[in-house]
Amino acid sequence: MNRTARVKRSRRLDPLSLAGLGCLLLLVLVALGSLVHAGGDPDAIVGPRLRPPGPGWWLGTDNLGRSMLPRVMEGVGTTLLLSSAAVLVTAALSAGFGILAGYRGGYLNELIMRVVELLYSFPAIVLAILVAAVAGPGQLAAVASIVLVTIPLMTRLVRAAAVAVAERDYVTAAAISGAGLPRILGRHVLPNVAGTIAVQGTYALSVGISVEGGLSFLGFGVQPPQASLGVLIRQGGTYMMAAPWLIIGPGVVLVLAILSINVLGDGLRDRFEPRETRSLI
Amino acid sequence: MSALLEVDGLEVDYGTARALDGADLRVAAGEAVGVVGESGSGKSTLGAAIGRLLPRQAVVAAGTVRVAGEPVLDLPPAALRRLRRQRLGFVFQDPIASLDPTMRVGAQLRLVLRAHGRDGRESPGGRDGGRGGADVAFHLARVKLDDPRVAAAYPHQLSGGMAQRVAIALAMAASPELLVADEPTASLDSQVREEVLNVVFALARQAGTSIVWLSHDLPAVARRCDRVAVMYAGRVVESGPAADVLGDPVHPYTAALARSAPAVAVPGVRLEPVPGRPPVLTGPSPGCAFAPRCPFAEDRCATERPEPVRVGAKDVLCHRAAELEVIA
Amino acid sequence: MILDLTDVTVSFTTGPPLRRTRLDAMRGVSLSVAEGETLGLVGESGSGKTTTSRVALGLQRPTSGTVRFDGRPFPRRRKDLAGRMQAVLQHPHWSLNPRMRIGQSVGEPLAVLGKAAGELVPEALEQVGLEAGFAGRYPHELSGGQRQRVSIARALITRPSFIVFDEAVSALDVSVQVQILNLLKDLQAEYGFAALFISHDLGAVRYVADRIAVMRGGEVVETADAATFYSAPEHPYSRQLLESL
Ligand SMILES: Nc1ncnc2c1ncn2[C@@H]1O[C@H](COP(=O)(O)OP(=O)(O)OP(=O)(O)O)[C@@H](O)[C@H]1O
Ligand SMILES: Nc1ncnc2c1ncn2[C@@H]1O[C@H](COP(=O)(O)OP(=O)(O)OP(=O)(O)O)[C@@H](O)[C@H]1O
Ligand SMILES: [Mg+2]
Ligand SMILES: [Mg+2]
Repeated sequence: MNRTARVKRSRRLDPLSLAGLGCLLLLVLVALGSLVHAGGDPDAIVGPRLRPPGPGWWLGTDNLGRSMLPRVMEGVGTTLLLSSAAVLVTAALSAGFGILAGYRGGYLNELIMRVVELLYSFPAIVLAILVAAVAGPGQLAAVASIVLVTIPLMTRLVRAAAVAVAERDYVTAAAISGAGLPRILGRHVLPNVAGTIAVQGTYALSVGISVEGGLSFLGFGVQPPQASLGVLIRQGGTYMMAAPWLIIGPGVVLVLAILSINVLGDGLRDRFEPRETRSLI
Repeated sequence: MSALLEVDGLEVDYGTARALDGADLRVAAGEAVGVVGESGSGKSTLGAAIGRLLPRQAVVAAGTVRVAGEPVLDLPPAALRRLRRQRLGFVFQDPIASLDPTMRVGAQLRLVLRAHGRDGRESPGGRDGGRGGADVAFHLARVKLDDPRVAAAYPHQLSGGMAQRVAIALAMAASPELLVADEPTASLDSQVREEVLNVVFALARQAGTSIVWLSHDLPAVARRCDRVAVMYAGRVVESGPAADVLGDPVHPYTAALARSAPAVAVPGVRLEPVPGRPPVLTGPSPGCAFAPRCPFAEDRCATERPEPVRVGAKDVLCHRAAELEVIA
Repeated sequence: MILDLTDVTVSFTTGPPLRRTRLDAMRGVSLSVAEGETLGLVGESGSGKTTTSRVALGLQRPTSGTVRFDGRPFPRRRKDLAGRMQAVLQHPHWSLNPRMRIGQSVGEPLAVLGKAAGELVPEALEQVGLEAGFAGRYPHELSGGQRQRVSIARALITRPSFIVFDEAVSALDVSVQVQILNLLKDLQAEYGFAALFISHDLGAVRYVADRIAVMRGGEVVETADAATFYSAPEHPYSRQLLESL
């Protein structure tokens, strides 16, 4: 009799995180669809203004008579693109700084950690507005704010992971062999903190989406006519009483995106960083 | 005596590699059994299977494990946790990896003590801090760690042997019915080792704890345990009363194991290892796994799987057990 | 002398804030290892053997005292010592990078020196009694003793002039242990490395060591020739140790 299923703990993600992953992939698909105008031209005027959902405009029309469906699709794309670009930047920077601080320690560690703490002490949205004020509103401001908001936590966690890895005997053995810093960091430390980076990257993505939403909502982020979830919610807010569908569509998508990413992050965390890893071997 | 632990025909695969190839082990209540075998023979895998603590790549291909009659491999998660908590205690092969690096030793010990009130039942409420502190010191002193510094130290601040003793103290503090100890004294010097083993075995005797002691050191195990099981390539090739297995080995592998040890070497004389190398199994061994290294092997040894043969008080897994008994 | 420790003291502070205690893991330790010589270091658990090896490897800066490797203090850049020293560290569980295959781990010291591994890796595995097939495995797919042997293979592969063995054979059964100890003796006869051999197993130490140092409570209480030590130990603690052999 084969008892694989029961004795073996699952290597894969649990159903909930799989659902999160599925939802996220669906959103990516939607975003890709908007590139080929799968839901229609987001800038074309298709009917009367402020119409509730109906044939021809499945999510209603906005104050100019544009169909909301392609606009939400485009918004998802913009938001996902901006936040993932920002998260990639964050991941690269945090990995670099966190690993360096964690492995080298000393004044370099102090310096990096003080800067990180300073950033950490600013409320996220204040920081974002500050960036927008300096860089001028737009996509760049959105990306930069997301990076600044997500970098402190990620750097701290990567550093903590790197500190633990740096004490491991295989790192010591490599150092005794005379391995240089690039080899030690690249071959030994980075691969062993990669799990942390992946997990935190997922969480950062959800933070990024909400920061983009907030910033564009306040008018400091993506600028119309380009659609992003934040922009759409801002525009919908104006007609909240008369045409609630304008805010419901993008709002639901935003919540869905953040939720599914967080669920996925939890699953990845359990998978990569189980608290209790014990085996006799 | 009723058996507290029964392992029957256990086969465990790691992907394509076979670690256990039909292992049998029986431990009575209150009995101490030493499991010896060379590096890679499957001792740790056997120990892990007792608590269903196998890593996730492991596949149990066949066999059963029963602890106090409960089928460990088929228990639902809640029952499994209860079984582990109430009956089983583990000392892992690499102690420092089994300690929580972020918690002081004293705190870890207190956690265990709190989960297992004195009388062995659970009392999650916990006890007052003062007595907890005294208890911690008491449990550490039992494994010869009487320096108060130890309770306040993090695991990485301990020496290898100290960490090993902390792991023993943690396992003993839970007063298990069955203690599975994987090389618990590998990094202890002889003096401390004897003292710690004295304590562990004395406590076990008092409390009626059974011990499964996994080790590579046959003489050391035979000195302490009631019975010894010798493993080779995932099977128990010889088991029986400790004195018989060490003093009067029947299986050729046991005999080779009992012979040479650096400790008995005459200075200047070169020691010879058992010739050959243990096999790396990828499936059931077709015959006797020791045959390629065995000076007594005959044709059928390579093709027929040996079944246990009763020789005196021992069970021996060898086609020629009866003849070899005469030679020995 | 390849290694010279003179009057080395290492102190650690431990314990929760406000109740810090100071501990001398090494106190006034003087030791030396000559080229091609094996110094056996024995002593009870917690006596400072591992700390001594860390000082010898330049991983732990002494609180006071001096360390000289090959007649010079440790260079600021470890790279300058590349290929000169190796170590088998005490915890087999943590000694191998879980994300690297065994073959890569064993070949790493060669890669550091910019040398091609070629046939050396399977050969090194073979020497410690592991099939060449182990090169493709990951560390978690090995037993404790197999991991320990992989560390030994890695330490020997560049033929360094100084090697530390910290309880390197403690998890090995007699047969494999004998095989490894013989390997060390053969390699030493062949190209003469110096070694610091830490073990609580006096039998194994006697088999490989030329000289023996005994530590207790952070101090070296006796240093003697192996032969002298085993026949006529001077310090009462040494005698006590030998009684249990
Ligand atoms: N996760 C794994 N994947 C593949 N093979 C494994 C895995 N774990 C263990 N093995 C193999 O299974 C065999 C038995 O391993 P086990 O750890 O039980 O040996 P052991 O008797 O405890 O040895 P040691 O005395 O060296 O600790 C070994 O040959 C080992 O290489
Ligand atoms: N990083 C550290 N911080 C605080 N104390 C430490 C640290 N490392 C070691 N010690 C202490 O120094 C003493 C000597 O430790 P060391 O590891 O050198 O002992 P050892 O002789 O190798 O013992 P073993 O045989 O048990 O491995 C111990 O009391 C230990 O607790
Ligand atoms: Mg093992
Ligand atoms: Mg040590």
